[in-house]
Amino acid sequence: MVKRAKLEIMRDILKIIQDNRNSIKPTPLLRKSKMSSVGFKEYYNELLEKKFIREIIDEKQDKYIILTEKGFKFLERYMAIVDFIDEFEL
Amino acid sequence: MRPPLEFLFPPEIGAQLIYSFVIIVCSLMVYYATKEMYELSSYKGIKYFRQAFLFFAIAYFFRYFIEFFLFLFNIKNILDFSPMYIGWISLYIFLYASAMAVFYLLYSVMWKKWNHSKSRIFIFNICAIIIALFGATFRDMLISLMLNIILLIFVSFILYIAYKDSIDRKKGKNLFIIYILLFVFWVLNVIDILLPRFLQLYQLIIYIVSTLLFMIILYKVLKKIGS
Repeated sequence: MVKRAKLEIMRDILKIIQDNRNSIKPTPLLRKSKMSSVGFKEYYNELLEKKFIREIIDEKQDKYIILTEKGFKFLERYMAIVDFIDEFEL
Repeated sequence: MRPPLEFLFPPEIGAQLIYSFVIIVCSLMVYYATKEMYELSSYKGIKYFRQAFLFFAIAYFFRYFIEFFLFLFNIKNILDFSPMYIGWISLYIFLYASAMAVFYLLYSVMWKKWNHSKSRIFIFNICAIIIALFGATFRDMLISLMLNIILLIFVSFILYIAYKDSIDRKKGKNLFIIYILLFVFWVLNVIDILLPRFLQLYQLIIYIVSTLLFMIILYKVLKKIGS
């Protein structure tokens, strides 16, 4: 259940980015995720490590977070992954 | 003059080859079909589930195919191997890999309840080595059978506990019946190898039911992957 919740949180963060036209600054993302900053940092780093998200810096030196192709793929396959885990009681 | 085909491939070898081939293909299809899901989620349950089927594929490859290839390419004459060593190695790998497959399948269901730790995988390896040693090295059929039956009882008991705790009991029931049947037929397969004459009459039934079980699991996997 704990691990399943982890997948859900990852999905929720990625969904926020996607719903924000695939571009959001770190502070609004933290606010919209409704997580503690420590917890958020942990997931954020994991999403970066897994290459689900990418940081870009624009000409005004503002940092934005965008989804990568792998991030979109995760969102697309999320329901199938959860269904699979439930089906085989994994 | 070329020898007739039946002489080269007696019908029982043909049946064993088809049986092994179908199980290897089903297992590898499960393994590769779930690759993307695991890469995206890094979910431990999916990892153990995949590893179980990889070990099934390895086990069944070493059960019949290796002997078939050695026979087909006449490697015994080329490399001067003793058939006894080849038989020992293939039997050892089959027993080890099939026991590991069963352990991984069980662990894929139980890892959350058993608090994931690397020591458990180590214990599984030790148990699989002991099972393989008794079966292949000491050739002690009685102890080997006892070990496999004890393991089957243990696995069934654990699966029953998992079933009782499962959230969706109806769905869980079907899955655990498939898993228990898979484990029962795995023990029958081991008996069939260690004591070939003991189950000779039922060999074809064992092959057909085992193949069907793998095909049902593959169907369930592909159905979910495509959803």
